[in-house]
Amino acid sequence: MRKIIKIFVLMFLLVISFSLNVFAAQRTDINSLIEHAKALDNKEVTVQGEAIGEMMNRGEYSWVNINDGTNAMGIWIKTAEAEQITSFGDYKHKGDTVKITGIFHRACVEHGGEADIHSETCEITVKGITISERIPSGKLIATVLLVPVAAILFFLYYKKSRKVTAEL
Amino acid sequence: MKFRTNAVSSFEIISYYTGYVVLCTALLMTIPIITALVFAEWNAMLDFLISMAIATLVGIALAGIGWRTKQNRANIQWKHGFVIAALSWFVLMILCAIPYCLSGHISSMLDACFDVMSGFTTTGLVLTQDLDHLSTALNMWRHMLTFIGGQGMVVLALTIMIRETSGAYRLYVGEAKDIELVPNVKGTTRIIWRISMIYLAVGTAALWIDGLIIGLKPVSAFLHALFMFESAWSTGGFAPMTQNIMYYHSLSFETITMIIFILGSFNFGLHYAIWQGKRKELVKNIETQSFFITSFIACMLTVYGLSRANVYPDTVSAFRRIVYNVISAHTTTGFGTVYARQFALEWGDFGILIMVIVMLIGGSACSTAGGFKGLRVGIVFKGLIMDIKKLLCSERSRKAYKFHHIKDQLLDDSVVKSSSLIIICYMVLFGIGTMIGTFYGYPLSSSAFEAASVTGNVGLSIGITSPAMPAVMKIYYIIAMYMGRLEFLSVFALIGYVAGGIKKLCVKSLKFSS
Repeated sequence: MRKIIKIFVLMFLLVISFSLNVFAAQRTDINSLIEHAKALDNKEVTVQGEAIGEMMNRGEYSWVNINDGTNAMGIWIKTAEAEQITSFGDYKHKGDTVKITGIFHRACVEHGGEADIHSETCEITVKGITISERIPSGKLIATVLLVPVAAILFFLYYKKSRKVTAEL
Repeated sequence: MKFRTNAVSSFEIISYYTGYVVLCTALLMTIPIITALVFAEWNAMLDFLISMAIATLVGIALAGIGWRTKQNRANIQWKHGFVIAALSWFVLMILCAIPYCLSGHISSMLDACFDVMSGFTTTGLVLTQDLDHLSTALNMWRHMLTFIGGQGMVVLALTIMIRETSGAYRLYVGEAKDIELVPNVKGTTRIIWRISMIYLAVGTAALWIDGLIIGLKPVSAFLHALFMFESAWSTGGFAPMTQNIMYYHSLSFETITMIIFILGSFNFGLHYAIWQGKRKELVKNIETQSFFITSFIACMLTVYGLSRANVYPDTVSAFRRIVYNVISAHTTTGFGTVYARQFALEWGDFGILIMVIVMLIGGSACSTAGGFKGLRVGIVFKGLIMDIKKLLCSERSRKAYKFHHIKDQLLDDSVVKSSSLIIICYMVLFGIGTMIGTFYGYPLSSSAFEAASVTGNVGLSIGITSPAMPAVMKIYYIIAMYMGRLEFLSVFALIGYVAGGIKKLCVKSLKFSS
């Protein structure tokens, strides 16, 4: 009896894990969109990535660019929805991770043949953070050692150079 | 005044001037340091302080080795000019790569050198990772390198020089620039910089205003405008974001950059002539004629070819995706309005072939552009017509053939021969690049596209250039960018000089042992 229960539990876990894989596969990465652009043209897709740069307001709709680690793509999204994204990725910030479901266009007629996604739903899955800058001690020591030496030598070189120029 | 030229060796002369160029570049690092201070990017600031200190020490060491050059006012010969230009670029490639390495955005020193050479040569191919999180200071440095590389590192050093150096013209020619706008070289280099700085002010202002209109914030719009201008004017192709020009999603932004890179691909002599009121030069010049004819034919053929395959849905799309990319390739800029893989997957062999041809032709001589240049294409074409006419004419008739480039110039066999030789060198470089690509398993069309892009200093990619690319290909692409930009002679002179030095050493050691 215990064996049967064990088999059932294992089967249950396997089924769960397979179904999780199926859910993961529904999300497409941006490089796959480009690689299979003809097949996915005008189809509903789901992408997830970090919002980068900044939102570009174009009236009722805005552009938000997202980078999922494989590539980056423009999302044409309602301004009201785009405003929910508060953190955009740059040197000092990790942008909000957003999950976008929308229609993928290989060569969008509305946007001059651009490959883009017209968002239908937008969900912020992970909030962005401010990246705190940590200075490695090695870098600090190298600066303290090298900069004064270079500055003194340059000053001496410059003085000598001026002297020779004046003599000539 | 003391002249003891014979006492100074070639090695000392080369070392002194290379050191001088390195010191000028070290001084330039103050700009990213100030940028880092303004934007409170402390890590980036330290990266540039370390790099500046190392560059200063190397510059002083090189100038110190050749110190007697200054004391004796030694003359620069042609061979020195060529070797100094080639060696300066090589040394600077390594020194300017240090901030890239320290930033943590690059996986190896080789990748950093690749990106620096790509910037210097105004190519625009990128191996830097995670561009979207790059510091403003490093972005400033990347775009500065491409902007200065467009005018020339030696040109910049000559501009800063306090007094005219004897043999400065030889240094200037060593960097593949030969136009004389005014009788002295210092005046010419200053005019080149004046032209570039005026366009910098106007172009950045135009892109800044447009950036604000398309929804960028004021400070960010200014930085994007400055970076994109520097890149467009120098026909570079770098951009601050992963998506390159596609980040902006704007027809107006694309159009302004297109005007800038077309202007950037024109000869500085042509700009100067127009500024002096000689507007007819724009129509009469063999280079502009060659550029307009080849770009028109290339655009029409690509639009026709891709419309047959229904790649783009309408005229606006065709302009933004086809004409923009073809002109970007022809001017050797490298801004792309399609993803790299879309060239391979959607444009087909015909589209790729046209792109390869225009990338190899390139822009104008003595401009910021690469490729084997419209001037040479025009000369070889006219030379061919000249030969046909000579064949058809009576043997007794003698006619002088001319071409117009700033002034009327005599078209003789030696001019045609020298142009053809450079074109052959480019084709050999391109051929080897294609062969290496296919050796590593990339398709022929993709290998040819990428090889044309590096040979012509373009920067468009079909997806081959990446950090995962084989190291041999990275090294070859660095060599191809370097040779293509300096138009071979300087690099050949450097190789000859090094080989000559090694030979002398071997002979000496053999004599010593016997």
